[in-house]
Amino acid sequence: MLLAASAAGAATLHRGVGPEPDSLDIHTAQSLSALNVLRDLHEGLLTLDAEAELIPGVAKSWSVSDDGRVWVFELDESARWSDGERIVADDFVAGWRRALDPATASPTAALFDVVENAHELRTGEVEADQLGIEALGPGRLEVRLNRPLSWFGELLTHPVTYPWPGEGSARFSGAFVLAGQVPGSRLELEPNEHYRAAGQVELDGVIWHVIEQPNVELARYRAGQLHVTETIPPGRIDWLRERFGDELRISPYLGSFFLAFNLKREPFADAPKLRRALSLAIDRDIITERVLGSGEIPAWGLVPPGMPGWPEGREPPLPAGERLAEAERLYRQAGYGEDRPLKVELRFNTSLTHRRMAAAIAAMWKLHLGVQTRLVNEEWKVFIANRRQGRITEVFRGGWIADWRDAVNFLQLFESDSTGNYTFFDDAIFDGLMRRAERQRADGRLKTLRQAERRLLDEQVIVPLYYYVSRHLVDPRVRGFENNPMDIHLSRWLSLL
Amino acid sequence: MLKYSLRRLASAIPTLFLLITFAFFLIRIAPGGPFDSERALPPEIEANLAAKYHLDEPLVFQYGRYLWQIVRGDLGPSFHYRDWSVNDLIAQGAPVSFALGVAALLLALVIGVITGAWAALRQNKPVDYTVMSIAMVGISIPNFVMAPLLILLFAIVLGWLPAGGWAFSFDRMILPVITLALPMIAYIARITRGSMIEVLHSSYIRTVRAKGMPEKEVILRHALKPALLPVISYLGPAAAAILTGSVVVERIFTIPGIGSYFVQGALNRDYTLVMGVVILYGVLIILFNFMVDLLYAWLDPRIRYDDGEAET
Repeated sequence: MLLAASAAGAATLHRGVGPEPDSLDIHTAQSLSALNVLRDLHEGLLTLDAEAELIPGVAKSWSVSDDGRVWVFELDESARWSDGERIVADDFVAGWRRALDPATASPTAALFDVVENAHELRTGEVEADQLGIEALGPGRLEVRLNRPLSWFGELLTHPVTYPWPGEGSARFSGAFVLAGQVPGSRLELEPNEHYRAAGQVELDGVIWHVIEQPNVELARYRAGQLHVTETIPPGRIDWLRERFGDELRISPYLGSFFLAFNLKREPFADAPKLRRALSLAIDRDIITERVLGSGEIPAWGLVPPGMPGWPEGREPPLPAGERLAEAERLYRQAGYGEDRPLKVELRFNTSLTHRRMAAAIAAMWKLHLGVQTRLVNEEWKVFIANRRQGRITEVFRGGWIADWRDAVNFLQLFESDSTGNYTFFDDAIFDGLMRRAERQRADGRLKTLRQAERRLLDEQVIVPLYYYVSRHLVDPRVRGFENNPMDIHLSRWLSLL
Repeated sequence: MLKYSLRRLASAIPTLFLLITFAFFLIRIAPGGPFDSERALPPEIEANLAAKYHLDEPLVFQYGRYLWQIVRGDLGPSFHYRDWSVNDLIAQGAPVSFALGVAALLLALVIGVITGAWAALRQNKPVDYTVMSIAMVGISIPNFVMAPLLILLFAIVLGWLPAGGWAFSFDRMILPVITLALPMIAYIARITRGSMIEVLHSSYIRTVRAKGMPEKEVILRHALKPALLPVISYLGPAAAAILTGSVVVERIFTIPGIGSYFVQGALNRDYTLVMGVVILYGVLIILFNFMVDLLYAWLDPRIRYDDGEAET
C-alpha cells in the first residue's frame, strides 16, 4: 500500500472524498462518496462530461422507439474491461439481473422500477429472464420501459446500472482501476490502460482521501496535501474567500433544504393558515447570509433552480414588508395570539449548522408571532426513526439532493404512497398531477410538474428555506474542474499543470 | 503463580460473556437500524437487507448465532462498510492504532518517569514547580485543541510535517504520537513525583542513607522501583484505552485506526462492528490488568500470588 502511494507519479491527483465509501460494489453502494469513486472506476451506457452533461459512454449511440418505451443501444466496440476483454451487452443484462435479485439486497434497486418487470423481479414475482433488458448481440442492447421516461438517460449514469464485472472480479470498466485501498484512509486509483478513451486521461493516478471533518480537510489542503476538497467548513466563508480567492468554488447544486410539517398530528393537521404564517415569518436572507454564510440561495420553492424546465429564481409570495403583517394575521386567524401562543417542537438531527439555524428560526417565530419553540436535537438514526414513524414529530428538518436531473425526483417525495413522505401529505390533486405527468412528454409534462409543485406549496406542506450550493477548494494547478449543478467531477476530465 | 495466572484467565471468560451479552442487547435497543438513511428504502428492499443479515430473526436467535460465530473467531460482516468483514476492518486498523499507542506509551513513560522523579528530587524548588506547572497544562489542554495547534504550527506555518494521513513513518507519526503522549506524560510525571516523594520519606530509605549508600544508588536501586507501582497500575487501563485507538486523534490526523470505529459504528448502528471493537477492548482491558498484577509482584517483593491467594 505504502509503495503504491510513493510510486505514484507527479501527476497524481489528491482529492477529498468525504466519509468512507460504504461499498465499491456497484449494486450495494449508496453513499455519495462511494458513487463518486465508482464513477471513476466504472462506466455506464451513458456518462457525464466535465459540465455533467450527458454524453455517450459504453454505448456509442442509441435510439428510442416512437412510443418512448423501447431504447436500443449500440455499444462501442472499443469499450473494454481493465483485463482487456470486450464489454458486451450481456454484461449489462447480468448486472441488472443481479441488482434486482432479492439476495443481492441492493438498496438502490428501486431506481430500476421504470424498467419492464423490474419491480416484479425484485419482489420475486417473475423470473430474471422476464426483465425488460435483452442482449440483441454482443454490441446491441435493448431496454423496455413501463412508460416513456424523458430522464432515463440520466439514470444510466448511476452506478447501479453499470455493466457487471463478475462476482469477486477485480476488473473495471471506467477510466481508472483500483490499485489499493486502506479503509478509513484512502483509495488509490491508476489509469485503466484498456479504457476506450485511455488516450484522453492525463492523470497518472488519483488518490481519494477519506476525510470526514471539513476542518481537517481544510488543514490538509492548506498543507498542500490535497488538490481538491470535497467541501469546506461551515461559517468561514468570508475568511476562505479572502484567503483563497478563485480557489474557492461555490456553485448552485441540485439540492433543497426545507422544514416539513407532520400533517397528521396537532398542531399542524388541517391548519394551512398556521403553516403559512410560520413560513412567512422566516426571513430566508438572514438564514442564508448570517446563519449559513456559504453562498446558499434563499428558497421559496421545492425544486431547485438549474433543474431543466424550472425557472431560475422564484419570487417570494409577498414583498418583504408585507410578509410579517400577513404572517401575524394568519396566525391570529388560526386561533393563536398573546393569550394562547403556539407551543411547538422543532426537531433536527445533531449538527452545529442545524442547531444554529433552528435557533434562528425559533427566534424569528418568537419575535414576530410569539411562538414558543422547543428545539429538539436528536442523534441521526433516532431522528430518522422518529421522522419516519411520525408519532411525535411536529415540524422538522427535511431536505433532498437530486439523484438525477429531473423535477420528479423532488416532487415524488410527497406522493401519498412515497416511503420518503414524512409529512404524510395525502392529496388527490397532487397525486393526480403526478400521475398525469407520467403520461405526458416534453413541455406539457413540465407544465404539469410545475402545477404539482404549486399545489404542494399552496398547501403549505413544507417551509422551503434554501437551495444547496456545492463548495470546493480547487488548487490552481488543477485543470478541467468545471462547476456543475450535479457536483459530479469525473477524474478523467481533470489534469495537473 | 502459574495456578493463579490460569485461574485469572479462566475467570475472564464469564466476564467477557457478560460484556458481549450486555453490549449485544444494548446496541439493539437504540432506536433506528443499520439500514435507515435519509432516503427511506422501499419495504421489499428493507426486507431483503434484513434477510441477508438475519435481522428478521428473533433477537434471541440472532444472539445465539452471534455467539456461535464468535466462538469460531468470526466477528461477522460490517453492516455499514459492506465490502468488509469486521475481522478485516480490525485487522487493518489494529496495527495502526497499536503502533501509535505503543509509541505514545513509551514516549510518555520515559519522559513522564524521568521528569516526575527529577521533580521529586528537587521538591519545592523551581524545577519542581516548573515541571508540575507544565504537567498541569498538559493535562488540561484537551487533544482536540492540541492536535489542530500542532498541525497549524508544523504543517501549515512551518511546512515541516504533513497535516495528516497515515504511513508507518516518522514524519507521519510524530505529531499524533506527541498529541496522544502529552496528557499521559503529564499524568505519569505527577504520579511518579507523588509516589517518589512518599518513598523517599519512608524509613527504609532513611536506613540505607544512614548506612552511607551513595545517593544515586539509593534512588535507582531502592527508591525508583517501589515508586513506580502507582504508575504501573495507571498503565494497565491506559494501555488498553490507547491501543484501541483515540477517536479524536485518529479523526483529526485522518489515521485509519480502530478508534473511530467505536463512534462511527455506534452512530451507524453497525451492530457487528460495535461488538467487534467492544470485544477487542474488553479482552485488552482484562489482559492488561492481569499483566499489571504480575508486574506488581515482580516490583514489590511483598506481593506474591501463592496458592491462588494474593497476600499484600
